[in-house]
Amino acid sequence: MTSSLGNLRDLYQQVILERYKKPRHRGKADPVSRYQKGHNPSCGDTIELTLRLNQAGDRIEEVKFEGEGCAIAMASADLMAEALTGRNVDEALQMVQRFQDMMKGGVEFPSEFRKLNVMQGVSQFPVRIKCATLTWHTLKAALEAASSEKLEEFVSNE
Amino acid sequence: MTIATEKPLAFKVRADFPILHQEIHGKPLVYLDNAATSQKPIAVLEALKHYYENDNANVHRGVHTLSSRATDGYEGARDKVAAFVNAPSRQEIVFTRNASEAINLVAYAWAMSTLQPGDEIILTVMEHHSNLIPWQFVAQRTGAILKFVELTETEEFDFDHFKSLLSDKTKLVSVVHVSNTLGCINPVQEICAEAHRYGAKVLIDACQSAPHMPLNVQQIDCDWLVASGHKMCAPTGIGFLYGKLELLRSMPPFLGGGEMIADVFLDRATYADLPHKFEAGTPAIAEAIALGAAVDYLTAIGMDRIHTYEEELTAYLFKQLEQVPTIRTYGPKPNANGGGRAALAAFTAGDVHPHDLSTILDQAGVAIRAGHHCTQPLHRHLGAQSTARASLYFYNTREDIDVFIAALKEAVDFFGSIFG
Repeated sequence: MTSSLGNLRDLYQQVILERYKKPRHRGKADPVSRYQKGHNPSCGDTIELTLRLNQAGDRIEEVKFEGEGCAIAMASADLMAEALTGRNVDEALQMVQRFQDMMKGGVEFPSEFRKLNVMQGVSQFPVRIKCATLTWHTLKAALEAASSEKLEEFVSNE
Repeated sequence: MTIATEKPLAFKVRADFPILHQEIHGKPLVYLDNAATSQKPIAVLEALKHYYENDNANVHRGVHTLSSRATDGYEGARDKVAAFVNAPSRQEIVFTRNASEAINLVAYAWAMSTLQPGDEIILTVMEHHSNLIPWQFVAQRTGAILKFVELTETEEFDFDHFKSLLSDKTKLVSVVHVSNTLGCINPVQEICAEAHRYGAKVLIDACQSAPHMPLNVQQIDCDWLVASGHKMCAPTGIGFLYGKLELLRSMPPFLGGGEMIADVFLDRATYADLPHKFEAGTPAIAEAIALGAAVDYLTAIGMDRIHTYEEELTAYLFKQLEQVPTIRTYGPKPNANGGGRAALAAFTAGDVHPHDLSTILDQAGVAIRAGHHCTQPLHRHLGAQSTARASLYFYNTREDIDVFIAALKEAVDFFGSIFG
């Protein structure tokens, strides 16, 4: 890549490209406590999140995703899945908000979640923000759903 | 000979398009998203400005000079559009917001009141959503059945399959002239002839043909034809419907309001003659006049000339695309002269997602489209979640294609190094 395209390096950081190529959290949680489909109607990106919660239903034990999308969308889902494992539901919902704030620029995650900060470069590319946030919107809907009932309704990112 | 040294068409017209002369991320803009919308020449921009600075008034309802000028301009644009598609009568041209509205007009004013349960509508799997959703509405309301023409192995209109779908139950065939994704040019004249043998009506979506090639509705013998102005150098907010006179006469009005009436009483009304019966409310006057200016501009260049030049570009585009590793194009390949398909290429590049491609190309100043191009069922049919698309117009040059290809190679290399 020539230097003139250098700021693409901020967007497509090595971690993002690696996660796109070799995701670590693709698949389906077992058993499924929550299921949610997300869709970006303007580009056709789709994501299917499955979550395994603890018995009390207040702690995330496993997050898996399936779907098709661009490098940003897929890497974002993979990094999110990793960061959420072992988190309380309340904490996860706060992270959804934090991620959205990061996309607006300025805010970062604390060092314990620093891997998520590689997505910061997306904030410089406003049209791509919805790629990065699709998985987080879908997560929010999954956590707010009452049961493991498969919802036919998509979460739309528009 | 002067022919050999004559500069390509684009070099003569690029000065007419102010927007092309700018930099994006420090690189000269290469605009290759013409199938989504075209850029506008100075003549069209001036027509808008001139209208608002000199002639602005409402049409058809004033006796003062400005109203008369606005009406003359608006109706003059109708004459220009009628001549552009070779309509026998100016009454056969109805101004709409765009092609979608024109299709909805036919769906609501004709199909909803005509079709019976079990009647069949034939579409194709390659239709733009605008030529699909209105017929889904019609099918839901009337009980009519939708049938879909499939693709051949070369990803073109399957005429044999089309013939096998036709029957006495077929009441309507609504088909795109040129696919915005596959780029195939459908045999609309033959489609009309075949459909008419069964007494079916035919609507042609000419959005991707009207800007690029000569159109002759009498030769095609279609019952309706629709197009959007913004894809053919005109502003957004204006399009048109052509319909055969008797057919338009037989159709009830679509939208009600001012402009479309003759006598109005509190409990009933009689309607204006064509084409005003279908133009309720104050129309997009300036936009229609600007569409007239666009038609003048295109006609002065010559639609044949535009088509021939775009064929040359198409041949070059596909030749260059073949040089890029992992590229898979959709639709038919052009013939040796670049003919046989439209001047656009929808493609995928291995594992590189079209959105990622588009972002990288944008950094190089190249504007392409990435996504489903409003043909989701077609993408499903092709097994592609989304595609990238470069679409050309007569102001594009071989140099534009070179910049695009270089940036595309760079993007493929960039991701290729990751995927190894």
